[in-house]
Amino acid sequence: MIEIKNVTMEFAGRTDGNNSGPVLALDDVSLQIPDGSVYGFVGSNGAGKSTLMRLMCGVYRTQQGSITIDGEEVWDNPAAKRNIFFVNDETVQFADFTVKSLAKYFRSYYETFSKDTFDRLVATIGLPMDRKFSTFSKGMKRQAIAVVALACGTKYIVMDEAFDGLDPAMRKMIKDLIVDEMLDRGMTLIVSSHNLTEISELCDRAMLLHKGQMIFDDEIDKIRSGVSKAQIVRKSGAVTRGEIESLGLTVLKHTVMGSVVQAVVKGTEEEIAGKLEGLSADFVELVPLTLEEVFVYELEARGYGYESFAES
Amino acid sequence: MITLDVTGRAPIYEQLCRGICGEIAKGVLQPHDRIPAARVLAKDLGINPNTVAKAYAELERNGVIYSVYGKGCFVAEQKDSAYRRLTEEFRQAAREAIRAGVPKQELEAIVQQECGVGGDVAEQGVKDND
Repeated sequence: MIEIKNVTMEFAGRTDGNNSGPVLALDDVSLQIPDGSVYGFVGSNGAGKSTLMRLMCGVYRTQQGSITIDGEEVWDNPAAKRNIFFVNDETVQFADFTVKSLAKYFRSYYETFSKDTFDRLVATIGLPMDRKFSTFSKGMKRQAIAVVALACGTKYIVMDEAFDGLDPAMRKMIKDLIVDEMLDRGMTLIVSSHNLTEISELCDRAMLLHKGQMIFDDEIDKIRSGVSKAQIVRKSGAVTRGEIESLGLTVLKHTVMGSVVQAVVKGTEEEIAGKLEGLSADFVELVPLTLEEVFVYELEARGYGYESFAES
Repeated sequence: MITLDVTGRAPIYEQLCRGICGEIAKGVLQPHDRIPAARVLAKDLGINPNTVAKAYAELERNGVIYSVYGKGCFVAEQKDSAYRRLTEEFRQAAREAIRAGVPKQELEAIVQQECGVGGDVAEQGVKDND
């Protein structure tokens, strides 16, 4: 299990003429990633997903809080780091590597590296072994790193922007390999993505980060069942936001069209339906949301998105 | 052939359960047929194997399938189709009622009223069938 406890990370401002204040990249984030799961990191651009991943892999040192892998602090701890592989969304550092030299490099670090797996995957994909990374397309670079990651055989793999730049056939192949690794050796995968459909398909759990703060962390199904869209009709007058809130419900969004109100409300269907009874409305219908909608409404409610932009 | 609507609103494991029940209802899957291993189905549908396992656990709990250690999951002897259709319709109606704002207590009261004395007999029947 990976355990993240009260992690705060602030990057110092720049003083090189390009002055900017310090950036609070992570603000008191805590979460646990259970073994054998696929865990999704989602969030707005610049939310802190990559920073958290780098901290989990021991690339950065935590300023406050702790990150442990199976109980071992990860920073400056080679034994703990041998259990985790980081697929960085940056690959410039490998520009002068070939697939062959990259494998050799990681093999020297990860005792669990399997040459059989590596050879099999390279052959299946048909990756050129002796060409430099700098001559690869974005997708080929991602493929090569994914192959090395899977061959390293670590218990945890962290993939930043997991499937970015991969064609559909390659996505399918990498996903198939992930299924095998999960079932054969209980691998745990942590992915970040902006593709929420992919996150819904692939993940057991997910968390939403916004401006360094964790907004929620739960099973995918529970996240989706925790918010509903209510259509409320009341002929005697449209239901106001305040009326719904006075029933003890959190309203993320409220739009009126004549006597019809659409309200995005937090809570289970049962809880919402029960409380909305107090409105004496003519008609109430609850519609579940997709993960994408939950994400958009949660962020809109925090002033992020097109509508708040248009209003300001 | 099970298809998923991943952009849809029902959880994936629920869609899987419904898909497999559908295959059984159509007769594509017969009692004691082996159903696809979690690995195969996860790859076919591009989903997490844990989700398939969750769906299979649910189906097993409901007596739709049974598992044999080391051999996989198989279709159980099914309750007759009228029984299944009616219980499914009943569930559907209950879900819709809750969505439309009918309080849970009222639904429970209806069930108790309608079942009356016959409730015990029906419950016995279910147990026998399991």
